[in-house]
Amino acid sequence: MIDEIARYVGLALLVAGSVINLIGAVGLSRFKNFYLRLHAATVSTIGGTFYPLLGLVIVSLATPELGELRFFMGGSLLVAAFILLLLAPAGSHALARATHRAKISRPEPVIVDYLAEDRGD
Amino acid sequence: MRKYLVLASIVLTTAVVAYVTTYLGALGPLGLDTRYLAKLFLANTYNPAHRELTAMSPEAVTSIVWDFRGIDTLYETVVFYMAIIAALAIYRGVSYSNVRRGSGLSLIVKVVTKLLIPINIAVAVSIAAHGHLTPGGGFQAGAALAVVSVLLAVVYSAHSFVELGVNLSRAVALRSAGLLAIALVVFTPIVISALTGTQAYLMQNYVKVDSAFSFPAHVQSQLISGTLIWFNLAEFLAVSFGFFIIFMLLSLREEVVREWVGKEDEH
Repeated sequence: MIDEIARYVGLALLVAGSVINLIGAVGLSRFKNFYLRLHAATVSTIGGTFYPLLGLVIVSLATPELGELRFFMGGSLLVAAFILLLLAPAGSHALARATHRAKISRPEPVIVDYLAEDRGD
Repeated sequence: MRKYLVLASIVLTTAVVAYVTTYLGALGPLGLDTRYLAKLFLANTYNPAHRELTAMSPEAVTSIVWDFRGIDTLYETVVFYMAIIAALAIYRGVSYSNVRRGSGLSLIVKVVTKLLIPINIAVAVSIAAHGHLTPGGGFQAGAALAVVSVLLAVVYSAHSFVELGVNLSRAVALRSAGLLAIALVVFTPIVISALTGTQAYLMQNYVKVDSAFSFPAHVQSQLISGTLIWFNLAEFLAVSFGFFIIFMLLSLREEVVREWVGKEDEH
């Protein structure tokens, strides 16, 4: 019973991830400037990859038919999810910082930009 | 309008190509002898009953790459070796001594990279050491380890190579050690059989019909697949430091390289 519920929770995360990926893809192609597009891209890396991986961890642990292998699968998926959780924000941070410093793209609409003020632009 | 034209032409081309290749048979009949070859490989990659045919590895790709067509892979490695020699020849005389320390990316990225690099090295080593059991192998593992050099150069600074003590001559020495290890494994059957007065082949893995020489397939019941693990580990060393050399050279600033090349032109 608890296995069944856990499996449905995992599958729900998987489905939610694919929907978020679709939203992220639409945002990536339709948003107006770089920063907004970066936001859409990170939505699909965290929401569309991290949560589905967690869902797969739950599904694999809640499937006793897999035998001992399910701990191996679940463990490696968990490690992959953790590494992704570390890397995706670092990557988007590096992109955003480099773009801001090089002044390639202007954030619009901009209400306040303390980073640029601190740098004296 | 233009968009729909492009879309329609893509769909039409796909449909025509699919129709011509499948229903009209433009590629000719599906080769039965090709299937026969595939069956032969699949039946013999791990087959303890036929020791003169098998590679004793459950990984069909590594078996084919390093056993069934081993000499082909050896020449591929030589091509890679020559490419790096060419790169070293173009950058000859360039040294890391006057590379200044750059500031690199922000602290956030540096901390994450510091966590990532040990994971990256562990993954690379496991791809190489499990190359005869799971997908992967020496070249893939070498490419995975080479990512470390790119991360160091981009996230920290090209100067971090100097700080870590990785210089070009050490990288060349390690890569040559990998290639020498490959050569050692290639010539071991010949040398041993010459000493014992029997006959063997270059790159021989297990017993053949007219040769009794065989590398051990197991070490204490652990499958190592004869030469495959040694080839994978040696190729790992050669390829990873080959890529290290390339990325170290490419991460030099243009002014530094120009300074050296210009100095040579004056003579």
